[in-house]
This record gives sequence, C-alpha cells and structure tokens, in this order.
Amino acid sequence: MTRFEDELKNALRRQAPPDGFADRVLARAAEQDSRQVKPSWRHSWLRIFAQPFAPANPFRWAAVAAVAVGMIVGGVHYRNVHVQRERAQGEAAKAQLLLALRIAGGKLQLAKARVDQINSGQVNSDQRHPDPNSGPTANQQERE
Amino acid sequence: MAEPVPAEEAADVTLGDFAEIVRRHQSMVFSTALRFLADPPAAEELAQDVFMQLHAKLNTLKSPEHVVFWLRKVTSHRCIDRLRRSRMPQVSLDDLPDSAGLELSTDLQPADPFLSRRLKQLVASLPAKARLMVILRYQEDLSAEDIAGILDMPAATVKSHLQRALAMLRDKVVSTMGEVRSDK
Repeated sequence: MTRFEDELKNALRRQAPPDGFADRVLARAAEQDSRQVKPSWRHSWLRIFAQPFAPANPFRWAAVAAVAVGMIVGGVHYRNVHVQRERAQGEAAKAQLLLALRIAGGKLQLAKARVDQINSGQVNSDQRHPDPNSGPTANQQERE
Repeated sequence: MAEPVPAEEAADVTLGDFAEIVRRHQSMVFSTALRFLADPPAAEELAQDVFMQLHAKLNTLKSPEHVVFWLRKVTSHRCIDRLRRSRMPQVSLDDLPDSAGLELSTDLQPADPFLSRRLKQLVASLPAKARLMVILRYQEDLSAEDIAGILDMPAATVKSHLQRALAMLRDKVVSTMGEVRSDK
C-alpha cells in the first residue's frame, strides 16, 4: 500500500456515531416490536392453517377437518336451538289466542243475554202501555 | 477490519442481542453513510434505517459474517438509492474548489489534518459508485473481490474503478497541495 493510500485510509477511518445512536435505534426497534401482534402468525399454533394444501405439515389436514366438523356441528346445534325457540314461541302465541277467544266468547254470551233481557222487557211494557199513535182508542170511537 | 463476533450472534433475535449487534457495527454503518453522504444527520437517519431493516430480517441471517456482509451491502445500496432520490448533482473532481488559503507543507506527515480533510472532501465528490468503492476499500479495508460481492459487479470492474478513482484523487491532491513525495 502506498503512502497516499495510507493517508486515504487514515482520512477515511471509521467515525463513531453521535451519542445515543444505539439507544435511539433500540427505542425504534422496541416500538416496532410492541406494534406487532403477539403471538405472531408465523410463530403461533395458528400457522398450521396457513397454506392448508401444502404437504409439509401432516397436521394441517387434521386441523382443517377438525375446524370443518366443528363448524358443521355448531351449525346443526344452532339450527336445533333456533327451531325449538320458534316452536316455543308458536305455542305461546297459540295459548294467547285461545285465551283471547275464550274471553271474547264470554263477552259475547254476556252481550247476548243482555240483549235478550232488553227485548223481553220491551214486549211486556208494550202490552201494558199501548202506543198512542198506533190508532184511535176504544173510548174515542165510542164518542164519535 | 471486520471484528470477530460471537458465533451465536445471529441465532437469537432478542432485543438484547440486537442491541449488541448495533453497538458492535454502528461505527461501520454510520461511517460508510457519513463518508458517502457527507451529511451527519442524513447519515444517522440512513444508519438507523439500516439497523431497523436488520431488526426485521435478523431471523433470516444465518451467521455473524452474514450479518456483517448484509449490513455493508444494505448500507451501500441505501446510500446509492438516497443519492438517486435526492438527485444530488454529480460534481466532477475538476469542478472542486482548490484549497486556496491553506498553507500546506509539501512534506506530508502521517495523519496530516489538512490532507485528511482535503481527502474527505475529494472522496465525497467522487461519482457514486467510485466513492462507495473507495470507502469500502480504505475505510473497511475490503478487497476488490469483497467489494464486488457487495456491489454485485465483477471484481475486474471494481479494480479498474478503484485505480481510476485513486489516480484522480492523487492528481487532485498533488495539484492543490503539493506532491506526495513518499508515494511509493
């Protein structure tokens, strides 16, 4: 190496960064770490669902099958619960309708009886007090 | 000039181990960026970005030597990218102002502060690729083959660029500061 190259090497020797450089880098790294969701997808057990058709992991098919079975069972269970709830709601509505009909029938009976009672009372009154506008009485006919 | 590093350095990716890597290599990364950009705040920003990229990629690096190589390569490419983005004008060596006013002895002493400062100015004015080669050669003490690996170009190209850059620097120094007499 020539003298000139030695001078060049001396001029270009490494220079330390400003104070606190490493701390600033580490603070940024810690902030970056804290922003990441943990456990990360690539390092958690959930990664067996990644690329389910890749042949490398023998547990992937089992995991996918287990999830599919779980979804089917859950769906059937949800459907059963839904049907039972609808049936119970129907029964309750039927009972309420019968009660309403029963109440309405009783009221109708009561009204019919009242009407009958009013009609029968009017007939008796007509027999005792005939209608003055219905024609000349027997006394008037005699005077004429 | 690469410092020995523990073999398990890159194996664990805890923040503590990352901190050790940062402290070990911060001078290398920062100095490369500083010599290339000649702008301390920009050099620190670039060096921080390089280490943040390393932090994200550390799992993929298999050995301490790989970490050092990766740092040099990413720093070099980021320097060139930054220069392209900023569209900084490429100054020819001939356009640089002479060091008028500096009363310099032609009998250069080792670690001559005036010569050192002038050399830094001249290196910073070299074309990007040549500048990077000179920095990697004389700051990092790398061979032409190592530089070729970092910059993805043939070693012969690196050698010719280095020779040309060295000749340009020497001519400029001689013309402005006097002959480097012990250049042999």
